[in-house]
Amino acid sequence: MLTIPTSIAEEMIAHARKLDPHECCGILGGKDHTVSQHYPITNILANLSEDELGRFDGPKLSDLKQLSPEERADIAFQMDSQEMGKALRDIRDKSISLQAFYHSHTFSPARPSQTDITIAMEFESYREKLNLPEPLHLIISLLDKSSPDIRAYRIVNHESLEIRTILT
Amino acid sequence: MTKVRIPTPLRPKTGGKSEVEVQASSIAEMIDSLESAYPGIKERLCDESGEIRRFLNIYLNEEDIRFLEGKETPLKDSDEVSIIPAIAGGK
Ligand SMILES: [Zn+2]
Repeated sequence: MLTIPTSIAEEMIAHARKLDPHECCGILGGKDHTVSQHYPITNILANLSEDELGRFDGPKLSDLKQLSPEERADIAFQMDSQEMGKALRDIRDKSISLQAFYHSHTFSPARPSQTDITIAMEFESYREKLNLPEPLHLIISLLDKSSPDIRAYRIVNHESLEIRTILT
Repeated sequence: MTKVRIPTPLRPKTGGKSEVEVQASSIAEMIDSLESAYPGIKERLCDESGEIRRFLNIYLNEEDIRFLEGKETPLKDSDEVSIIPAIAGGK
């Protein structure tokens, strides 16, 4: 279960709508499965050069290569590492902990894609070294523009498991 | 020797190795030592101006080097460096 204040859910939806058709991304901090801090992060994918896309692999990489840099951010995101580092640092300074990473799907359902799962598992392999708790992965779908869908997942063993979210 | 953890996207440069050891007294030296051992890795780590690429974080033990002394951060023998790409994904 993950509890999210309505005000933060609204901020995330506003962030997703502002960037639409690009994907937005960000970090949520809090305590005991309750979110209290929202850190919108820049999706730098549109600013990455072709040789920096080596981050992605397989079919995603070939999809990305067929698109213009502008269009790439419609189907994927890459967090700005500096902003991510600052957010994680602020979370530590506030004595709260990492709760979730989020991003939007601007024209598909709020379900983790294969790329989301692969990269979450990759992060999982580094996470212990950074002494971070296991984050949930939240997706905001704008498939139905008038009623965005927010869903949270645990991603473990290359599978995603939906976790109930409660807005308060 | 300093242990350096190599992230998945860079492993093709290190012959698949997820951890390598280098002799270096700072992060900048570590990057140069990696480049001598694994040519081509430096341009994957740094942009044209020599800055760490915007999708990578370098951690010394548990601390982001940006909050230490950046590339001038000194290294000790027992240190562990982790090169970690920021979260990404897609639909
Ligand atoms: Zn996704």
